[in-house]
Amino acid sequence: MSITLTLIFMALVTYGPRLAGFALSGRSVSSFWRRFLHFVPIAVFAALITPALPGNSGEVEVRLVAALIASLVIWYRRSLWLGIAVGMGAFWLLRGFF
Amino acid sequence: MKLFWQGFRAIIPLWAGVVPFGMAYAVLARSSGLSLWETQLMSVIVFAGSSQFSAAGLFGLGASSLSIILTTFVINMRHFLYTLTLGQAMNLSWSQKLIAAHLTTDEAFGVTLAHKQLNFPFFMGTALSLFLSWNVSTLAGSLLSEAVPDPEALGIDFIFPIAFLALLIPLLKTRKDLGVALVSGVAAFTLSLYLSSGLTILFTGVAGALLGAWWTRDDVTLEENP
Repeated sequence: MSITLTLIFMALVTYGPRLAGFALSGRSVSSFWRRFLHFVPIAVFAALITPALPGNSGEVEVRLVAALIASLVIWYRRSLWLGIAVGMGAFWLLRGFF
Repeated sequence: MKLFWQGFRAIIPLWAGVVPFGMAYAVLARSSGLSLWETQLMSVIVFAGSSQFSAAGLFGLGASSLSIILTTFVINMRHFLYTLTLGQAMNLSWSQKLIAAHLTTDEAFGVTLAHKQLNFPFFMGTALSLFLSWNVSTLAGSLLSEAVPDPEALGIDFIFPIAFLALLIPLLKTRKDLGVALVSGVAAFTLSLYLSSGLTILFTGVAGALLGAWWTRDDVTLEENP
């Protein structure tokens, strides 16, 4: 499938639930599915992180230490851009040392 | 028009977070082989930050189109709860619903609720403020990435797990949230040794969310906060 066609399908599957919510507003969603949807981003984001963390350039230790530093900053400061900046900065600094 | 600009301005403080994230998305997408046009098209027609970021990373890993589309679907399903809530609170015509649906995001939903301005002009102000900043920063990131000679040598792919750490950690408000994240993280790492990246994410995402829903079956607090 071409990239453009993939993007169009991505747009459709994103628009679908957004429109469905408007179409069905007034109805109630069961507590189970509300809780399910609460946990979807938590489970998916965690699943995106761990397989990508070691990388394939043989820099596992450096990446893990940089990720740990970034995690601490994110935990205390709750800032997306600061987390990314500190994580990448730590990564570039550390790989200079090792 | 006054309400529209109030909504527009209410998002401006969030630009500080949107702009670097949009630029980082575009740099990752370009280093994964997407063209300037494709990178921008995604920001216009999908317009959902974390799913775009995940797709940009998955394109780079050579994931199949089907798994990228399904992962996008799973990540963006939560918008259903937002429009369900907005639809109940605002009295919209069908043409307004068709437009608002495309522009619903975490930020527009959150800010509209927080300001208790449940009307179409304010919501459109927040939504277009975000659409504009997201798309301009996508373009800026795309152009910036053309100045980066060798993204692989720079280790640009590391931005992917870091960005998702930064998206995940603020979501962890209870022990059960943390528990589901840890179980999902370990499960995904193990599965990724045997399965494709797309299948790993789909399987872990659905199983982890089911685990969380089952685990919190006796809790009542989650029901009010979608």
